[in-house]
Amino acid sequence: MSFFGFDTNLPRDRDRGPAASRGFFENPDPFADIARATAVEDDGIDFEDTYDGLGDQLDDDQDAFNDDTFGGGGNAGAGAGAGTSVGRDFDFFGRTAEVSNAIDEEQMRYALQNPQAARAPPAAPQETYVPAQHAAEPTIKRTGYEKYSDPGYIPDLQAKSSVWGIAQEKREPSPAMIPTMPAASRKMMSLEEVEAQMRNRGQAFGPETTQSIPQTMPDMSFPRHPQGLPMLPDGFPANIPPEILRAHLEKGGLPPHLAHMADPRAMYGSPGPMMPGQPLQQFDQNNRPPRDLPSQDPRHAGPPPVQRQHVPPPPSRGPNGGLPVITNTEQLIHLTEEQRNAYLMEDAKRAKRNHKIFLLSRGNGLMTPQDKNFITRIQLQQLVAAAGNVVDADPEAVLAEDFYYQVYSQIRGAPRQHPHQPLGHFAQTYLLQTGNRISGHGNRRAFHSADNHMQRMQQQVQRAVEAAKAKPKNKQLIIEGSLGKISFSNAKAPKHMLNIKRPDSSEGIRPKKVQSNLSIGDRKSLLGNIEAVYNALMSMEDMERTMPPPPEEGDTEAIQEHLEWRQKVQSLNQKLWQALKVMEPIVPNSTTPHPFIAFLSYPKGKKAIPRIFRHIDQEQRVTILTMIVVHLDTLDVVHLAQASGPNDSQLPVAVREAIDLFSLAVMPSLLGYVNEAAFNIIIGLLGLVIAQTQVLAVARTKIGLGILTMLLSRAEIIKEAGQASERDWQQWVEKFNVLFDMLEPSLVHIFPGSINSGDDMYVWQFLAAVGIGASPEQQQRLVIAVKDRVMETVSYSKSLPADMSSQRLGNVNLFMRAIGLDVDLLG
Amino acid sequence: MADTEDAGASVSEPLDLVRLSLDEIVFVKLRGDRELKGRLHAYDSHCNLVLGDVEETIYVVEEDENEEEVTRTIKKQEEMLFVRGDSVVLISPQA
Repeated sequence: MSFFGFDTNLPRDRDRGPAASRGFFENPDPFADIARATAVEDDGIDFEDTYDGLGDQLDDDQDAFNDDTFGGGGNAGAGAGAGTSVGRDFDFFGRTAEVSNAIDEEQMRYALQNPQAARAPPAAPQETYVPAQHAAEPTIKRTGYEKYSDPGYIPDLQAKSSVWGIAQEKREPSPAMIPTMPAASRKMMSLEEVEAQMRNRGQAFGPETTQSIPQTMPDMSFPRHPQGLPMLPDGFPANIPPEILRAHLEKGGLPPHLAHMADPRAMYGSPGPMMPGQPLQQFDQNNRPPRDLPSQDPRHAGPPPVQRQHVPPPPSRGPNGGLPVITNTEQLIHLTEEQRNAYLMEDAKRAKRNHKIFLLSRGNGLMTPQDKNFITRIQLQQLVAAAGNVVDADPEAVLAEDFYYQVYSQIRGAPRQHPHQPLGHFAQTYLLQTGNRISGHGNRRAFHSADNHMQRMQQQVQRAVEAAKAKPKNKQLIIEGSLGKISFSNAKAPKHMLNIKRPDSSEGIRPKKVQSNLSIGDRKSLLGNIEAVYNALMSMEDMERTMPPPPEEGDTEAIQEHLEWRQKVQSLNQKLWQALKVMEPIVPNSTTPHPFIAFLSYPKGKKAIPRIFRHIDQEQRVTILTMIVVHLDTLDVVHLAQASGPNDSQLPVAVREAIDLFSLAVMPSLLGYVNEAAFNIIIGLLGLVIAQTQVLAVARTKIGLGILTMLLSRAEIIKEAGQASERDWQQWVEKFNVLFDMLEPSLVHIFPGSINSGDDMYVWQFLAAVGIGASPEQQQRLVIAVKDRVMETVSYSKSLPADMSSQRLGNVNLFMRAIGLDVDLLG
Repeated sequence: MADTEDAGASVSEPLDLVRLSLDEIVFVKLRGDRELKGRLHAYDSHCNLVLGDVEETIYVVEEDENEEEVTRTIKKQEEMLFVRGDSVVLISPQA
């Protein structure tokens, strides 16, 4: 063939007629007809002329062959040879539709004449589409295209195989099967002959030459079988019923043409006509289960071909074990009964497994690779964010951020006891575990790829962690020449929207406060003082938590550490002391109270006292106590608590609350100190009360009396314990006498309000303290002073319920017993 | 942490003023014509507040029969109140 597709044959060589029975590809190029048309007029035209004048030389009248070439408008008058050529080349449907009736008849006739040969070949394409279940049915069930129901369509399919005839010949040279081909016979063939030829080709994969095949050929290829098979109707014996196949198997032989089709080689043959081989195998597989394994899942007994194709081919390894691999039915025949059973069992297992895979695979393909990558990226980011944070965060912050996890993991015997352990390891452990879990499934085929995936993921994590480590520590990136800043952020450390530099509090950006004692009365500065005290308190309490363990002998480093800590505590103590302003000079007759007393006038100031007392030494405590005693009458709880009269017992709620708070918060601290104080301090304090305060005013308040009671009882205890020196005692008695003389006239007035106001226990406690320390003569005066109140209370208590009555009488008895009496004596 | 060296000068930002009123009675004005008076127990940077012994006053403007606007007040007493900061208009120490 020439390069441009022209027929280079000389005209004399090619006058054999246009058609012959050549395959499509052996046909001269359709365009060659044109060249030929011109060649008729001018024999021996040379190539150049043809090439140059081609367009001009085209003659519209000379398109007589166009119809042949392109299959157009039924060229009835064309020669039979031309007709054959056309029929085998193009427009199968159109051409055959014209002659479908004739074909029908011919086919019927042919089938009747030669049922054996006619049966198998058409079965080939048919098997592919018809479920094996239906194979046994005599009527043809079509699954798809309705046109195919027209029997006349079959030749079309057949014609296709002829198209591939040449290629087939080359690929499948099985000379044994080829009958001796008569040399190219040019005789025209009837339609019947052509058909027969095609069928033969389909059956035997006859390596056809382009020549026609003698009519006898079918019989030569396929010896007729004596046992007559049931006639299949409609001339379309597409399906071999399994029963028949089995019958053949039982008899120990397949018809040669079937045996040939079962030949494994057939499976790998040429695509078109090769079909018979493949379907037969399918046929084989499809038909066995319903017969031999009735218990099998009906879904898989005879699955529609499409589904069937989705099932992965049974693995060649494993399940078969020692059994030979069965690739065709012949082998199956030769097996013993046992082996066959075993094989069928294996088959059942395989089917079961396939079913399982099918169930599992329902979720397959839900996520695209992109989806998976996306998820992986998110996971990586989180891992890196966590790991990255650990890298540059100090352990304290980690602990603070992850507090509950740390505690929890410590409780659970953490795998990660140390917050310093980089999270990268954690991530790696996690990943390794996951990998193990997946690979634990055994040597599945997926194992390899999964393992690869995990390895890749691990590498990615490692790289990401490295990158996070290498990332600059600073949280902002300022690109040169740009106006803005780019801040790095992650989930744990969100981007700062504002970056305000807070003035370092120790630096003197704030204007230095004016001397604080100038603004003593300033409420705001007082509140500020209180906050300063609390700040100092909190830092001291924090210091307490971080106290290093007591140093051991010789451990200089620990000693050094401890010393530093002590120094810090000491400086904090100084801060606290200054904030308290206890040492502010006392301004006599000042209208504004001393800052410390003002401090105590606030509830939060009162509440701070117990905490303060824990952090100050004895000297500071006595200073505070002294301060309070000196300013006793200016304490809010004293000077606001002055009952205006005996009948005006009700103090404002706020004052009562303040008194209660003072009793609960401040008094225990003071009492705690006084109970250990030396006698001279007690004497000094009592002297201060007498000298510096308005004793009467103090005595008319609960707090004032409470402090006096505290001092008196402490002195009594010291005396009882015999710790008081004679000289101190003399001093004490002097002071006590002064106090007693001052109080005696107004002893009646120290009782709060009327008799029925309830809470007067503290008064009786005070009187008892006075009574114990008093001389007999003083006791006498004391009894006279309070006799009325005692009698009133006793008579009043008789009108009260029993428990309240006994309580009141008990209070009175505190005093009575102190002076050697008892309320019972009063009757 | 605020400076304690010169006590009383621990005000470096607006909310430090609120801090001075901790444990004090404060007056809080809220959106929606409401006022609170109570002891300030806690606050944060969003002006979320925890108040104790609160008296809440709600001002309601109504029209009487003469179509004149009359302001009515509703007072409520709460033992403890959490106030979300976004409704706080002002916080004032109740001297």
